[in-house]
Amino acid sequence: MDDLVVLLFAAVALIGAVSVYFQRDRFDKLIALGIIYGGVVPFIAVRGYLDVLIAVSLIVPITTIIVLPLCRRDTRDA
Amino acid sequence: MIALYIVAVIAVFAVIRATLEKNTGRKLPYVNVMNFAVAGAIVLLLDHPLALAAAAAYFVGSTLEANALASTYAGGDRRG
Amino acid sequence: MLGEFLHILAAAIVSWILFVAVDIFFKLPETGGVVGATAIARDIEAGGGDLAGGTMMGNIVCSPDASAGTLLAACGVYVAGIPGGLAAAVLVYIGNRICYDPGYAGTTGAVLATFVVYGFTLVGFAATDFIAGMVIAILTVQGLSHAHASQLLGRLWRVRE
Repeated sequence: MDDLVVLLFAAVALIGAVSVYFQRDRFDKLIALGIIYGGVVPFIAVRGYLDVLIAVSLIVPITTIIVLPLCRRDTRDA
Repeated sequence: MIALYIVAVIAVFAVIRATLEKNTGRKLPYVNVMNFAVAGAIVLLLDHPLALAAAAAYFVGSTLEANALASTYAGGDRRG
Repeated sequence: MLGEFLHILAAAIVSWILFVAVDIFFKLPETGGVVGATAIARDIEAGGGDLAGGTMMGNIVCSPDASAGTLLAACGVYVAGIPGGLAAAVLVYIGNRICYDPGYAGTTGAVLATFVVYGFTLVGFAATDFIAGMVIAILTVQGLSHAHASQLLGRLWRVRE
């Protein structure tokens, strides 16, 4: 993997990580978590860990889907 | 090859725009562009049939996640 | 290098026409579908866009449609020729059903794109040109100006109606 491509996808992951901290809205934070994962994916792929990639690509969205109803319940209780 | 560079630059551009966008509903299309770019990058990095399955799994997973985010943001299904 | 870049640009134009045509044919801009898509459409309209175009953009986000089909078909042709593209079409079909989408826009787009991409590989293009081209095409629809893109899509939708 070329240095420039490494830099670009690392930038994606880092921008996502920084924006998770700075975003206020809960949905924006969840979106930023998804951006972090998207930035990390090419690094998993280029090493050949494709079975790991398939498994985690199913686990991460399911985690978000599990977290979402937890967010909704907070606003209704408040 | 140049295709990989183009795809990586588009991913960074889309992520920057997604971060700078204030409205959640308009963030999601920018993140969708990043998902396309990452799915393409998986196959461009590794020329193997399983890479196709990995790209499809990543793309479907990210679409499912965006769908769940958008529908919870909308207020969810009106139940009962 | 410039030659390859021009190939990618040409592939982007072909991919754009292909996925927009299939999506409009399958009535993606029609309002009243997936809840998430209408939420995105509302926010796009609030930002100065067109509601029908915004609905199509929302549907592109919320379910694998012809754009996803074209991208995965190009990946499939790159990896394994026509059988690879058709395998990608099967994966898109499964992806549609997992996302509760009963439509066939994604599958149709994938099958058409398989043959289009393969045909172009016979005249000097590389399948990777279409992978990058499709990402450029989706950037122009969803990544540059939501207002302008949705208005263009809305105008194309009214032509269809």
